[in-house]
Amino acid sequence: MTDRTIAVDYLARVEGEGSLRLRLEGGKATEVELRIFEPPRFFEALLRGRSYLEAPDITARICGICPVAYQMSACHAIERALGLRVDGALRDLRRLLYCGEWIESHALHIYLLHAPDFLGYPDAIRMAKDHRAAVETGLALKRAGNAILEFLGGREIHPVNVRVGGFYRVPARDELETLLPTLEPALAAAESTVRFAAGLPFPDVEEPYEFVALRHPDEYPMNEGELASSRGLALPQERFEEAFEEVQVPYSHALQARRRGGGTYLVGPLARYALNRGRLPPRTRSVVESIGLEPEVRNPYRSIIVRAVEVMLACEEAIRLIRGYSPPARAFVEPPSPFPGGVGAAVTEAPRGILFHRYGIGGDGRILEARIVPPTSQNQARIEEDLRHLVDARPDRSDAELTDACERAVRNHDPCISCATHFLRLEVERA
Amino acid sequence: MHEEALFRDLRTKMIAIAEVERAPRIARVRLWVGALAHLNEVRLRDAWPEVVRGTPAEGSRLEVEMSDDPEDPRAQGIVLASVDVPRERYLLGDGGGG
Repeated sequence: MTDRTIAVDYLARVEGEGSLRLRLEGGKATEVELRIFEPPRFFEALLRGRSYLEAPDITARICGICPVAYQMSACHAIERALGLRVDGALRDLRRLLYCGEWIESHALHIYLLHAPDFLGYPDAIRMAKDHRAAVETGLALKRAGNAILEFLGGREIHPVNVRVGGFYRVPARDELETLLPTLEPALAAAESTVRFAAGLPFPDVEEPYEFVALRHPDEYPMNEGELASSRGLALPQERFEEAFEEVQVPYSHALQARRRGGGTYLVGPLARYALNRGRLPPRTRSVVESIGLEPEVRNPYRSIIVRAVEVMLACEEAIRLIRGYSPPARAFVEPPSPFPGGVGAAVTEAPRGILFHRYGIGGDGRILEARIVPPTSQNQARIEEDLRHLVDARPDRSDAELTDACERAVRNHDPCISCATHFLRLEVERA
Repeated sequence: MHEEALFRDLRTKMIAIAEVERAPRIARVRLWVGALAHLNEVRLRDAWPEVVRGTPAEGSRLEVEMSDDPEDPRAQGIVLASVDVPRERYLLGDGGGG
């Protein structure tokens, strides 16, 4: 029996993931509710009863853009529970893998989602007609980041080579050096990206953020460091839950995190940069100085510059790590025998900000409990404050103008929902 | 999350086509993936069995064309280019035809 071909030519669309409800009274926003409708996926529940070795691969599935972050936080938390220490070349390879994720994730946001806002285009497609070279630079940088993920992780998305204690397989030095011809031009492209971003026109805005990020004494943080904030918080990362809590709001499927007994805070590139500017690698630091970037960037629109700085430092770090690499004796560190079980927590720096994992592991190696606090849920309440300030500054805008301005304000923080260029369904009540 | 939303939309569309065509199954699905769709072929093929599970397209052959043109007006999307359905229904339908 032959088949009949039905030509469809239907363009699939992203719809209905986010909406914003505003209530305006007397020229002020009295209610701002950013709603996220992604269905709950119950990852913490489905981890229970699974082997601790499965956690990095299961949690990687939470995000297609930043799977490495989920793998890293899972590995560090479980290793803390089991008393494992991973250092030397294995530590370096993890940092290299994280560099790949920062490069691909930030390049995507800078060129394909954020830059069109400043150049006056509704999206990257329209921007590509006049700025094709810029869009192609973005795609080339994204490919460079993906090349690291594919090489070290086994594939670009949802890598499969990461395991608790290290990797399933580690590369020889000459194998790893095959990445250099991709990364050296990527570093130059990243430097031009910093200068490109610094030259964009920005609205004049300042927000009184409390920045929260990891802080490390020697390096710009990815996998390690203490929890720190711009208002004086300094805490071992495994004690995250002492300082922060998540609350359920009735209008969103995503939980919102807050400081315990306090207010909102911001995680991500602006926070990392403010708390770790002194740890930028040399070439990136000199470019940051040459463009005169302020020590704390409090204008959320200017986050595109800081993201570009982080792409550059990730390229610079990746090259340094590859050049200094000597293969480890073993691909992973084994847990002690008898298997100890235990409870461990860790924070690492996903491209969008700190990502907390905590696991309880039984003596049989099964996961008893799991908790995950992603960066988007930590920033959601703070994004609502940005939106409130935006609306209050110009309440006379039409609904269409408000939608456009609010979408841009949300995109400043690169939440997962910003993947959809036009995601907001705006409801405005004007009393 | 982005790709899941796209997949959900594709799934809904394929179910709708099968209903309209009164096709019990879809034998082949052809997709075109834009250069800015933030999705690679490996991820797409990996997810596909879940996307089509329980639909007439379950078990269908998937053909993917990856575009590298960022200026294409559909560059951020995935296009369901065509589906193949068996001819049976035209033989068994009301009064024959075919």
